[in-house]
Amino acid sequence: MNSLTRFWTDQEVYIMKVFLPIIIGFLVLFMGLLVIFALSIWWRHYRLWHLGKEENRSDQGATRLKTLLAVTFGHIRFWKELYPGTMHFLIFWGAILIFLGKIVRLFSYPVGLTNPPQDIFKYASFVSEVGGLLVIIGGCMAIYRRYIVRPSRLETKPTNTLIYSWGAVLLMTGYFVKGYRIAIIGSGVVPDWLSWAPVSYFISRFFLILPTEPLNELLVWHRVLIHALPAFLFFAYVFITRTPLQHFFLSPINVYFHNLKSKGVLLPIPNFEEAETFGVKEISELTWKQLLDLEACTNCGRCQDVCPAHLSQKPLSPRRMTQNLKDHLRREGPKLLATPQDQRQPEAIMEKTVNEDELWACTACMACEEACPVYVEQIIRNIDLRRYLVLVETKYSSEVRLTLKNLEKNNNPWGASRGTRAEWAKDLGVKSFAEVENPEFLFWVGCCGSFDARNQKVATSMVKILQASGIRFGILGNEEGCCGDPARRIGNEYLFQTTAEANIGIMKGYGVKKILTLCPHCFHILKNEYPQLGGDFQVFHHTQFLMELIASGRLKLTKPINKVITYHDSCYLGRANQIFEAPRKILNSIPGLKLVEMERHRQRSFCCGAGGGRMWMEEHIGTRINQMRTDQAIATEAELIGTACPYCLTMLFDGIKEKGKAETMAAYDLSELVDQSM
Amino acid sequence: MESSLRPVAIVVEVIILMGVIYSLFLGVKLSALDFGLEEKYQRFIDWVFMIMGCLALVFFVAHLITFYPRLFS
Repeated sequence: MNSLTRFWTDQEVYIMKVFLPIIIGFLVLFMGLLVIFALSIWWRHYRLWHLGKEENRSDQGATRLKTLLAVTFGHIRFWKELYPGTMHFLIFWGAILIFLGKIVRLFSYPVGLTNPPQDIFKYASFVSEVGGLLVIIGGCMAIYRRYIVRPSRLETKPTNTLIYSWGAVLLMTGYFVKGYRIAIIGSGVVPDWLSWAPVSYFISRFFLILPTEPLNELLVWHRVLIHALPAFLFFAYVFITRTPLQHFFLSPINVYFHNLKSKGVLLPIPNFEEAETFGVKEISELTWKQLLDLEACTNCGRCQDVCPAHLSQKPLSPRRMTQNLKDHLRREGPKLLATPQDQRQPEAIMEKTVNEDELWACTACMACEEACPVYVEQIIRNIDLRRYLVLVETKYSSEVRLTLKNLEKNNNPWGASRGTRAEWAKDLGVKSFAEVENPEFLFWVGCCGSFDARNQKVATSMVKILQASGIRFGILGNEEGCCGDPARRIGNEYLFQTTAEANIGIMKGYGVKKILTLCPHCFHILKNEYPQLGGDFQVFHHTQFLMELIASGRLKLTKPINKVITYHDSCYLGRANQIFEAPRKILNSIPGLKLVEMERHRQRSFCCGAGGGRMWMEEHIGTRINQMRTDQAIATEAELIGTACPYCLTMLFDGIKEKGKAETMAAYDLSELVDQSM
Repeated sequence: MESSLRPVAIVVEVIILMGVIYSLFLGVKLSALDFGLEEKYQRFIDWVFMIMGCLALVFFVAHLITFYPRLFS
């Protein structure tokens, strides 16, 4: 028999009459499918993103590409959870290997690689076999998790079941096809297909009960109707419909365009004076990147599992909000595109898609953004929605109204008289910045350190440390205003900008260069957001400063504190600004102090509940977040909770009292502990 | 001598074929919904595909029993 009509296991499979026409037809149709795919990306995705506002995310291409490759091929953001990370890694790399092996074998016949099988053909065969095994293992892990374990964060829809069933059919029939081929040559195997195709070889042993001629027939039918056609239709389904599997291109695009700045940095409203509207009312007022975020979300639910609001039974689920906004975009977007701009009447987002309770529940802690494997950004979007409610509809609670009023009138959220801002320092020998000769730092005390009784002790400790270290510093006293964090996070961008501009004017007037802050919120906003309004200063948090003092020997800690302490990472110190080591080095420098970590620490730290303006709002729904965090601290059996944030200190201090643990546990700022140890 | 594995082989083939049919039908339904078919037609489509699936099952079983190769021990 002419060897050209035989395939790699030497069987007759009607190569010219059936095999080649099928392959050529498949390739031609596949090319057509790719064109339809490209058109579908443009028509069903790109046009929708283009509804959004402009935003520059094209800078630093090399950095973006590196991150894209690391996340896509190394899965670096997936390994934060071992089981789903492993499962996805196996499925991803298994699919890649199947594809690579298949491409080689698809084009092997015309270049003479198949009969007898050349090395590259055998290697390609082995690669596909291994790939299939990896997908089977990963797929079984995924099915077990989704259908047996059923974690609450996973939403199972018919499309998920379809992907598993279709994938299983393709894998099984793929191995069957190879099994038939191996079986055709009988019980003798040349070359050693046990090594090159172990799974197919195993299956082929069952087919030895079939005579050769029917085996040929079954092979052709299986390959064409039961494997190739469903495979082609599977590609068509994935390319054309908006199935979750489209994350294979949507998520990498989102990873490429992810935010390269520090987390939690809000942007000003451009041209505030001339702007006709503020914040986001309807879907096209989001930026194109925010719209892409909605489509790139894979509905994995990692954000939900770390969200303190969700875990404390508030109505907010970051996953649900993003998915609802995606549905909104897909529903309203085509209508907007079909309507001339001046005739559009878009549906509002609030109340129809997002309700006020879930929006106000957000503490802007960024745990969702930290957990997301594909860099979906939620905080800026949430604040944009708040801006519309606050600045346009003036829809907010009476607590928020009071806070904003206090900030406007008295430049602090408590409404205490401005003239009393420096009262805490009157007996400490602290000078104003203007009085100090060649000052090294402006000590930015913040509203908590100035007005809150508990945090005034922290400010006092810090002053003692600075004086003992011989640092030349001053405070602004009554000229210091609120940094603007509560106003900005609540959504009152106008109040933030007027407050911040006033502060910047005062600091520039005094020639301030370096600022030392007590509070991570002040630190974050002065360092990362004041430059947007022309305020460029070198800003340090007191933990960075204390670490330097200790490391340089200017500060000696000699008195032991023989206690076990656990450290609470504040969101705006840790996650937002990546300051994790400085506080720990301080604690490790204090003699006698033993540090134990809570389960959720560093990047995975659990919010105290005060961020996002929630320090000034009561929790009316569910469990109190600060109590949950206190429980986590209690579980470590530590005697002390250390923190470096006045909000966190207040919340944990209250949490200890509420849990009835005041006799056995206490919360301290790190500066207080350093003061005690000096 | 004819193998007693023929029914087993036929059952395996039927399972694979019904897996293909289920996937194709569900894929068509979900694609239609994605392209704008209203939710109110979903039940009707489910019934149509269920009936077609049953017909396909009967056809496959009959066809395979009649035409599947005789197996030898």
